[in-house]
Amino acid sequence: MRRFLFTIGHKTLSAINQMGDMTIMLISAFSWAFIPPMRIRNIFKQMEFIGVKSIFIVILTGLFTGGVLALQSYYAFRKFGGESLLGATVALSMTRELGPVLTALMVTGRAGSAIAAELGTMRVTEQIDALAVMAINPVKYLVVPRIIAGILVVPILTVIDDFVGIVGGYIVGVWLLKINPGIFMAKMIEMVELSDIFNGLFKSVCFGLLLTLIGCYKGYHTRGGAEGVGRATTEAVVVSSVSILVGDYILTSLLF
Amino acid sequence: MIKLVDLHKSFNNLKVLDGINLEINKGEIIVIIGRSGGGKSVLLKHIIGLIRPDAGHVFIDDIDITRLKEKDIYKIRRRFGMLFQDAALFDSMTVGQNIAFPLAEHTDLSKREIAEIVAGKLADVGLSGIEDKYPSELSGGMKKRVGLARAIALDPEIILFDEPTTGLDPIMTAAIDELILGIQRRLNLTCVVISHDIQSTFKIANKIAMLYEGKITETGDPESFRNSENPIVQGFLQGIPEDKIISS
Ligand SMILES: Nc1ncnc2c1ncn2[C@@H]1O[C@H](COP(=O)(O)OP(=O)(O)O)[C@@H](O)[C@H]1O
Ligand SMILES: [Mg+2]
Repeated sequence: MRRFLFTIGHKTLSAINQMGDMTIMLISAFSWAFIPPMRIRNIFKQMEFIGVKSIFIVILTGLFTGGVLALQSYYAFRKFGGESLLGATVALSMTRELGPVLTALMVTGRAGSAIAAELGTMRVTEQIDALAVMAINPVKYLVVPRIIAGILVVPILTVIDDFVGIVGGYIVGVWLLKINPGIFMAKMIEMVELSDIFNGLFKSVCFGLLLTLIGCYKGYHTRGGAEGVGRATTEAVVVSSVSILVGDYILTSLLF
Repeated sequence: MIKLVDLHKSFNNLKVLDGINLEINKGEIIVIIGRSGGGKSVLLKHIIGLIRPDAGHVFIDDIDITRLKEKDIYKIRRRFGMLFQDAALFDSMTVGQNIAFPLAEHTDLSKREIAEIVAGKLADVGLSGIEDKYPSELSGGMKKRVGLARAIALDPEIILFDEPTTGLDPIMTAAIDELILGIQRRLNLTCVVISHDIQSTFKIANKIAMLYEGKITETGDPESFRNSENPIVQGFLQGIPEDKIISS
């Protein structure tokens, strides 16, 4: 029993410790972000890596999420004749919750893990030390461009996901379930407000920051060779995913 | 030129450095020997400010770098080059880009001038013409030589070598030893070399220091080292396992 409590205490302390370290890394990245050189090319490279290469997977998830959302809602709404609300339901769910969250989770799986693996490899092969020895701050050179790219790209991907999700809902609702397209669109436009979309995008900015920061942090502090890189990658995905879901709850309760 | 005073460092209760005192003079090659995992790399990283000690001082020309802010340490680091254990080449860049990197970051030279310097440094390490290869295409020995070319790109005064010959075949080991000696003489560098290769050590060292249990147990020139009465030193030189030294 004492051992059990000890383990819990130890884990909690270590989690708090890591949150502190991450905050320090974020502050350090923030202060370095405004010191020239700006390394615009590095930022673009990371935007391409995080963004362009995630578009396909985001479109795929968006399409099917929107589709299944329409299908499920249809069976529920039919019981009380509320099928006309289908478009609005899909659009609201996508823009407020599913778009930002699913996009962030997909980007975590694809890019967050890759960031942790890349920085982790650079750490264990002493490439990060080599940067520092050459008088180049590794946080500025490696972490800052990735975080900026995450903040810029994840919202763009979210917009795509929102849009494709609504298209998916439209395909299922109008083409398969034969809902009147005019009503589908009219209800959607009536009920979705600009603030829904913007709050969703604000979330995705936070998630973009979160997943790149955690990926960088886990990679940056990798220890123990190739095995350590594997561990860092897994941890980055798990911690990012949980943080995104918890963060989503917190943001939803604050924003809406 | 470099002076370590009573340096202590632990990692999570693991005491790695336990009061290191060592002086390194300008223009000499000092080789620090000791067993694997004994803290040699950690010691080297203190000299260049990559790791901060728990207690003690690192003086570079009377400046205590343990007291400096990160930005001021960067200024001091421009005087250093370092060859890492596995060369630590950036694997996203070609050989040429690796060597050009410190030049592009810290000088205002044009692309042409940089390319000329890169070619010159590659020639220095006997690898002319491989600018466009990627590190993954190189053998271990070639990587180390490219790492050395990168380390001398900005003409440093001091070079730190972390196990420059570990894992290389005898011929490549001899080639790297020659390279270190040649570059040291030509550029009048101060070299701090970490090694557990005894043959190489006696070939290149002006001074040898032995790290044992977190302390420097002995320093001296190669001759006095060979004749040392210290059982730990003799044990290491003759390759006797540690537990036998302690019990005898
Ligand atoms: N950043 C670090 N965090 C925790 N432990 C470390 C760190 N760096 C080195 N160590 C530990 O310090 C000891 C000495 O390592 P090192 O200096 O690499 O030995 P070597 O003499 O082989 O170069 C090892 O036990 C290593 O695990
Ligand atoms: Mg080592």
